[in-house]
Amino acid sequence: MRWFWIDRYTEFVSGSHAVAVKGVTLAEDHLHDHMAGYPIMPNSLVVEGMAQAGGLLVSERYEFRELVVLGKLAKAKFHSCVRNGETLTYRVKIETIRSDGAAVSGTAHVGDRLHAKATLFFARLGDANEALQGQRLFHPNHLRHWLSLVGIFEVGVHQDGTPMKEKDYPLTECATDPA
Amino acid sequence: MASEDEIFEKVREALVEALGVDDDEVTPEATLQGDLDAESIDFLDIVFRLEKSFDIKIERGELFPEDILTNVEYVEDGKVNDSGIAKLRERMPFADLTKFEAEPSVQNLGQQLTVKDMCNFVAFKLAA
Amino acid sequence: MRFWLLDRISSYEPDTELTAVKNVSLSEEYLADHFPDFPVLPGVFMLEAATQAGAWLVRFSEDFAHSIVVLHEARAVKYADFVTPGNTLQVRVKQQKSDERLVHFRFEGEVEGRISVSGRLVLERYNLADANPEQADLDARMIAHQRSTAELLTRGIDIAAAL
Repeated sequence: MRWFWIDRYTEFVSGSHAVAVKGVTLAEDHLHDHMAGYPIMPNSLVVEGMAQAGGLLVSERYEFRELVVLGKLAKAKFHSCVRNGETLTYRVKIETIRSDGAAVSGTAHVGDRLHAKATLFFARLGDANEALQGQRLFHPNHLRHWLSLVGIFEVGVHQDGTPMKEKDYPLTECATDPA
Repeated sequence: MASEDEIFEKVREALVEALGVDDDEVTPEATLQGDLDAESIDFLDIVFRLEKSFDIKIERGELFPEDILTNVEYVEDGKVNDSGIAKLRERMPFADLTKFEAEPSVQNLGQQLTVKDMCNFVAFKLAA
Repeated sequence: MRFWLLDRISSYEPDTELTAVKNVSLSEEYLADHFPDFPVLPGVFMLEAATQAGAWLVRFSEDFAHSIVVLHEARAVKYADFVTPGNTLQVRVKQQKSDERLVHFRFEGEVEGRISVSGRLVLERYNLADANPEQADLDARMIAHQRSTAELLTRGIDIAAAL
């Protein structure tokens, strides 16, 4: 199982909002256990889709120098079952962003059908965070690879409409890189 | 302008939702960190809800002045000194700091902040 | 990967409480992506472990009456600490209330006495036959499979003590 719970961004506006999609397919192992006999996309992974879509939106505000982690799922409510062959569309929006973290609201739809709504709080770990024990989460190359896979620089724009460019971000160095 | 009761109701709702506690656990004397188990990530959530509920803007450090508590000018040996306490009184006119002043260790401030202090903070912001 | 987020159920009291464990191991593939330089159990998997714990309690309490038991709502789910490989997450769910469709829980996950996650969740339960009577057989097959999974997860637990 890979830990990629959005497939691609279709929209990404720096500091504001983003839209990403995820296809649900029988090729995914976990659907054969959840539930065995009747595949249903687990709602915990729907939360993760929103967290990834929103987390990168927040990280971009910190120039992708660091990743944020999900500190709190304030509320998530689910209204249906998402089945194999369906595509989830995640819409996430930054509600508030500060130096120590951010609040993101999100929805998940299958076509016009609202499947889920959630509010997530991200914590920014920073260099001095004890829990990290001086380690970083991600080598910058991994982050650059992930951003490329999900098409951030293919659709991403700043709020004035100008395209986001990979070279504008320090993706070859990282805030938590050991000196 | 909202009455004391209205403020308490909305603050209680925010705390119940944010902290997953029951209505009756949120009394005016309940301490946020001690009795209600609030942690720093919860404060982000609580502030967000209060901003929406009361249509106010709360800057980082306004409700809880971490900058004073981490400033070497105001903290000696893990305790807030006299000029630090004066600064806190200035920044937190909504809070009852008497207990804290008797034993001003840095970690005590957070632990003593009560629901009543939070309501007073909201009233203070609404009046401003 | 098998989507079993619990390794063993340690104890339960019908309609009340269930405790279970999940070991975190470097052999779990997804850890290579979460995160490449700092593998930790994803927060949503702590939520999933609690969800599955609640689902098993529901099934044991009503003798597998429903084939589908899914997460309907999660609230105030707070992540306090990372859970790293080599550690065991102890999960506890406490039933708060239930009606014919929904069951409410408070839950906690801890590692060696330190809380890693806490929150509330609501599960929804039903049978496919409720909407489509043709699917009653499928419900029965799913339930039979769930019973044998339960047997694996509770093997060795003292059932008399558990009840």
